[in-house]
Amino acid sequence: MDKIKIGIPRSIPYYYFDKKWTYYFEKLNIEVILSPKTNKKIINDGLNYTNDEMCLSLKIYMGHVNYLKDKCDYILIPRIENYGVADQTCTNFLSLYDLVKNTFKVKVLNYNIVLSKRETEEKGFIKIGKSLGIKTSVCKRAYVYAKAMSEKDKKKKHLMNLKKLLSSKLKILMVGHPYNIEDEYVGLPVLKTLEKLNIEWINAYDFDSSITNKLSSKLSKDIYWKYSKELIGAIKFVEDKIDGIIFVSSFPCGPDSLVNDLVIRKINFPYLNLVIDDLDSLAGVETRLESFVDIIENAKAKS
Amino acid sequence: MNEYYLGVDIGSISTKGVIIDNNNQVITSLYIWTEGNPIVAVKKLIRELKAKMPKDGKLLGIGTTGSARKLIGLMLGANVVKNEITAHAVGTLSKHKDVHTILEIGGQDSKIIIIDNGVVVDYSMNTLCAAGTGSFLTSQAKRLGIPIEDFGELALKSKNPVKIAARCTVFAESDLIHKAQIGYLKEDIIAGLCKSIVLNYLNNVGKGKKIREPIVFQGGVSKNKGVLKYFKEVLDAPIIVDDDSHLMGAIGIAIMAKKNKNHQIFELDATDVLFETKGSECSKCSNNCEVLKIYKDHELVDTWGNRCPKGSE
Repeated sequence: MDKIKIGIPRSIPYYYFDKKWTYYFEKLNIEVILSPKTNKKIINDGLNYTNDEMCLSLKIYMGHVNYLKDKCDYILIPRIENYGVADQTCTNFLSLYDLVKNTFKVKVLNYNIVLSKRETEEKGFIKIGKSLGIKTSVCKRAYVYAKAMSEKDKKKKHLMNLKKLLSSKLKILMVGHPYNIEDEYVGLPVLKTLEKLNIEWINAYDFDSSITNKLSSKLSKDIYWKYSKELIGAIKFVEDKIDGIIFVSSFPCGPDSLVNDLVIRKINFPYLNLVIDDLDSLAGVETRLESFVDIIENAKAKS
Repeated sequence: MNEYYLGVDIGSISTKGVIIDNNNQVITSLYIWTEGNPIVAVKKLIRELKAKMPKDGKLLGIGTTGSARKLIGLMLGANVVKNEITAHAVGTLSKHKDVHTILEIGGQDSKIIIIDNGVVVDYSMNTLCAAGTGSFLTSQAKRLGIPIEDFGELALKSKNPVKIAARCTVFAESDLIHKAQIGYLKEDIIAGLCKSIVLNYLNNVGKGKKIREPIVFQGGVSKNKGVLKYFKEVLDAPIIVDDDSHLMGAIGIAIMAKKNKNHQIFELDATDVLFETKGSECSKCSNNCEVLKIYKDHELVDTWGNRCPKGSE
């Protein structure tokens, strides 16, 4: 029998689970097909399968699913409703399963967990394995392995991020979701421009989330989106080590528009609010970044 | 021999050039329409400025700013290429040392620059759309059959400006057509339009910014007396519009070219050089980048727009 092939879209949830899924399926002797980095074709396909009102990230997600639809047996779309009552995820994430189900004729591997109802991530992983006809004990072992490996990856990333804080260059904290920052079309052009301008950028999400999550309460106790909390907590975590903040969000992001606006009123930092839509020309973004870097350079020279 | 510096600000609608001396005094200046072709516009600009430049001097620096700054910078061999925020701030500060707020409305951009003790501390620019900028005013003027130069004067005649949706220019336009069709006076509509530009600007670009005096208003739209009137009215504050308000970006970048130490003698011979650009869609990977190749005398000098090295081959 051929190996089962599972497709993972390189978009929204991928950036939170990173290689955890790949490690898991590897252990179960299942092949994983990861969609390529976002390119023009993926964006255009995504635009065709979505309506105008959806956010750019969702459009990109659908483009990735479209790429995978004929190349694998199943597409993996987990749904994590929350990580506890005060740690919700964006409603758009919850819609992914239904969106894909209703748009494409594909088999979807799905698990739904609600951590506030005492469900665990492990349960989700095992549920998937079992639905593919694999014994619970084997699934459990594979999960333990995947978890350990991905923890290791994460620690390495966190360490690298902390090291960047020691840099002698001007340092800018990038406050944006990983699926935007690391996307070839949304965040990477911004990061590349910053590198050209000799700026050290630091990812707000690459810190220990248990620390940043708690720190977020110093800026606001009312935010209930887990990922937003971690991002703004990072501002408090590094506030005495950075020279400026760039907020990067995709158009039109609901949580970001609320959270960023709220935070901007409370911080005393030079900041730039970048909203990225599907625009081919980078000229506008470059002008804004250059001007912003001029401002923080001047501010630093003055102090 | 006197030393001079050239600043060129190439916007979407107009191209501005100034020549300044060592004391930042404007020796000569020119304001022409870009007409969608920055290369041709700049060649014309250079030709005329060269003719007007005193013969006893030498040109030691060139700076370019504005949305075509990179292209023109390459064409002129400029020693400074800088964004328009910084250029406008430097230019304005050279004339108004204590300025706190710069309101700027240009052809496709509008921005607000906040300055504290002579240093830019905050700025904001219109985001995804060109709502409430000069190009919108120009197209509406054309629709109403009024030369854009007379627009401001006409607006001042109005005693009762009509209310026009200020949030989005698409809505503003349909509002405008509607008001015209039910019989409002032309000057009232024009005045309403000027007011909507002001409200749009303050609600979008100026949102959350502390607008403190002294306030300087510049960019092409600052020449529109109607818009100026409503800025004064809505902000309830005096607003300075310099005679050179449309040239501030060019003056700023000329000053930066002066401050830059890489001086050399420029001959301004760009008018004789054949400068071409070729745009194409790269098909070497699925990104299909829009690549722009720049040729100087048929020789490839630069490639823009490509996301990977394949595009520049």
